[in-house]
Amino acid sequence: MIDIWKRFPGVIANAGATLNVERGTIHAVLGENGAGKSTLMNILSGVYRPDEGEVLVNGEQCWFNSPADALTSGIGMVHQEFRLVPSFTVAENIVLGASEKIIKRSAIEREVGEIAHQFGLAIDPTRPVWQLSMGERQRVEILKTLWRKAQILILDEPTAVLTPAEADELGKVLGRMAEDGRTVIFISHKLHEVTAFCDEATVLRGGKTVASSLKVKDVNEGDLAGLMVGSSPIISERPPSQTPGEEMLAIRGLGTLDDRFLPAVKNLNLSVKSGEIVGIAGVSGNGQREMAQAIAGLRPITSGKIVIADKDLTRAPPSERFTAGLGYVPEDRLGVGLAPRLTVTENAILRNYRNLRKRMLLVAEQASEYCKNIIEQFGVRTGSIDDPIAGLSGGNLQRLLVGRELSGDPKVVVAAQPTRGLDVQGVKAIQDLLIAERAEGVAVLLISEDLDELLTLSDRLLVMHEGEIVSEFDPATAQRHEIGAAMAGKKSIA
Amino acid sequence: MKRLVLARREQPLRGGQPLSFLIGLVLALLVGIFLLIASGHNPFEIYERLFNSSVGDANAWAKTLNRAVPLGLAGLAVAVAGSMGLWNIGAEGQILAGAMMAAWIAQIGEGLASPLLISLMLLASICGGALLASGPAIARAQIGVNEIITTLMLNEVALRLLQWLIHGPWKDPESRGFPLAPLLSEEARLPKLFGRAHWGVVIAFLVIALFGFVVSRTAWGYELKVAGSSGATARYAGISLKRKIMTVMILSGGIAGLAGGIELSGTSDRIVEGISGGYGFAGIIVAALALMKPSGVAAVAVIFGAVQVGGLSIQTLGVSSSVSTILQALILFGAIGAGVFNRYTLKRVKRDVRGESL
Repeated sequence: MIDIWKRFPGVIANAGATLNVERGTIHAVLGENGAGKSTLMNILSGVYRPDEGEVLVNGEQCWFNSPADALTSGIGMVHQEFRLVPSFTVAENIVLGASEKIIKRSAIEREVGEIAHQFGLAIDPTRPVWQLSMGERQRVEILKTLWRKAQILILDEPTAVLTPAEADELGKVLGRMAEDGRTVIFISHKLHEVTAFCDEATVLRGGKTVASSLKVKDVNEGDLAGLMVGSSPIISERPPSQTPGEEMLAIRGLGTLDDRFLPAVKNLNLSVKSGEIVGIAGVSGNGQREMAQAIAGLRPITSGKIVIADKDLTRAPPSERFTAGLGYVPEDRLGVGLAPRLTVTENAILRNYRNLRKRMLLVAEQASEYCKNIIEQFGVRTGSIDDPIAGLSGGNLQRLLVGRELSGDPKVVVAAQPTRGLDVQGVKAIQDLLIAERAEGVAVLLISEDLDELLTLSDRLLVMHEGEIVSEFDPATAQRHEIGAAMAGKKSIA
Repeated sequence: MKRLVLARREQPLRGGQPLSFLIGLVLALLVGIFLLIASGHNPFEIYERLFNSSVGDANAWAKTLNRAVPLGLAGLAVAVAGSMGLWNIGAEGQILAGAMMAAWIAQIGEGLASPLLISLMLLASICGGALLASGPAIARAQIGVNEIITTLMLNEVALRLLQWLIHGPWKDPESRGFPLAPLLSEEARLPKLFGRAHWGVVIAFLVIALFGFVVSRTAWGYELKVAGSSGATARYAGISLKRKIMTVMILSGGIAGLAGGIELSGTSDRIVEGISGGYGFAGIIVAALALMKPSGVAAVAVIFGAVQVGGLSIQTLGVSSSVSTILQALILFGAIGAGVFNRYTLKRVKRDVRGESL
């Protein structure tokens, strides 16, 4: 794939991405969320068409109009969300959509069994899919592409739904496929899996290829992590140093589970003082998201204590935490932080509407007053405050969201990926807001995938790995490769 | 090469709903002309009757409004649940439950003063509908059972109960074997407003207006909108989804139940098998046409009622019931179809950019 460009309304997903994969290898495509991995793979598998650039398979230029076209050229993709019919059996799911008009059940079941056996994908073709675990369902998806004689398999974050043991098992299966001469493209941001399973790696950042076909045995995880987070243009100035005040956010022994009910955060201790920005670095999927949700009260915790401004809020509902002085900027702007179908005003008052009512009535004038304040103070550009927020740009949505969280005069702000996906102006605006809050004595916990942002803004930088804080750095003196090594799980003393 | 595609407007067209309704109506009537000519009728004669019988005079209006009452309330029931993203498909059964409860109160309350008796009956009908909806409400809120299935199945339960009552314990001894409950006493019947239109019209209008106000102006309605837009956002704002689902579903059932009570006391005067008259299912269409907004339900219900009344009336001119049904469907479909253009617009695009242009 050479110099691929793909634009969506408001976003450039691929800006000159190049990918070169050798036959019979397992090739990792690495990159943070939003780096353009999935878009690039969707182009390769015929889901999207590129705006510019060309795709060559075995030296021949290809132009895929649909996933079926790509499959004819031997390219099959296993998507993150499985596309299976739960009430059908394994074999029925595998033939679904096949071009043959007459299909003999026993023959298919035998064929599927043979392929499964060949690659060590233990599965019974006659079982209905609803009885299968996530790992087994994934095997069905893989078998589906193998049965259709795919020579190039694309797996989009295949281990995201797997337990560690299942992931290891998958690694072995991929190895057998490569030995058989098939090519596997493995999309992930879990570095240890890449070094364990893959032969080569291509790293994407901001839609561009930053490192092409690295031999995995020649690089270490720290290097890869460094390439993934990279260096974006530094925008905001490093804030002047100031002596932090009293402890505002204290987290003791926090434990919480992820969506698969596996431990995501383990016995985590954290303290943020007034007038201090504490940065959390880490490869995504190491518990940052779950930690932020637990602090905000959106995820039940299994152990520990959360204290905000000397008030124990471990069991408090999200609204009580807001009143107690916690502002939370969630990672998912639309859908969690903002309600997509509601108007600007309705979203602006989301956290505070209980104070804008008179008996049971919501006072419309007070609501629009409150909304106008946020819009003016934080420079949100919008047509009318009664328009749905769907019309706002990403940067303006985030200004509205951050502005709303700051409007309650918080003592603590937890910001998860507050600048991800924003344009340069938007990034600067949000970063400046956080710096201003720090100057006013707010305790800020900043979770980001942008190492430069963390190095610029943080007073202290903590690295999270597999649900634990593994090391702490002073951003003024920290070395990039040391942080990279810590993100990859190497314990270090700074 | 260029082709036409439907592209989503960034903002729905302001005030487009009534306009598109009108355009859709006119287009449907134009198409209907061919249908009527093909089936051997004079379209102008039929259309004249269609309009005269539904909105031509006070008498026609009375019929239309009486029909609009259960349609509007059922539509409101669906819309209230729908504004939170819930589907109450059980309004039909809840109407029956409401009617049965009201009939029961009418029996045991024999001799009470009329206003008191009617109030008790309507109150009981609300409880009946709410009771039937409470099962699906609890199942959905506590363990996430799909409310579409449960409410739909309870329709059948309510219908069987009613059939048992009118074939057994409640059977009118003077009905000569027909499965009918006895006529209500005079005291149990809603007084007339004008002509045959009863006071239920006013009650229904007030209830719809009340909910329109509650949903658009109160904190409770605001929470409803947030929860309907995104469950995760609602949790983030500190809104208890479980409690919201429970209240909304039970309220929805209560509104549909009230429709049953009013239909019994105002129009049918006795429990018969067809008392729910398909209003519960028609309510889904009413709510959809009103874009799930309680404030829009009243207008849609009146138009819907008029179409139904007119459709029945033209059958006396020899139009077969199937042609009349097609005509009614055309009119309603035309209105819904035209409504699409409030949210979408036709765009000419180059070929080969499929998917991304939408």
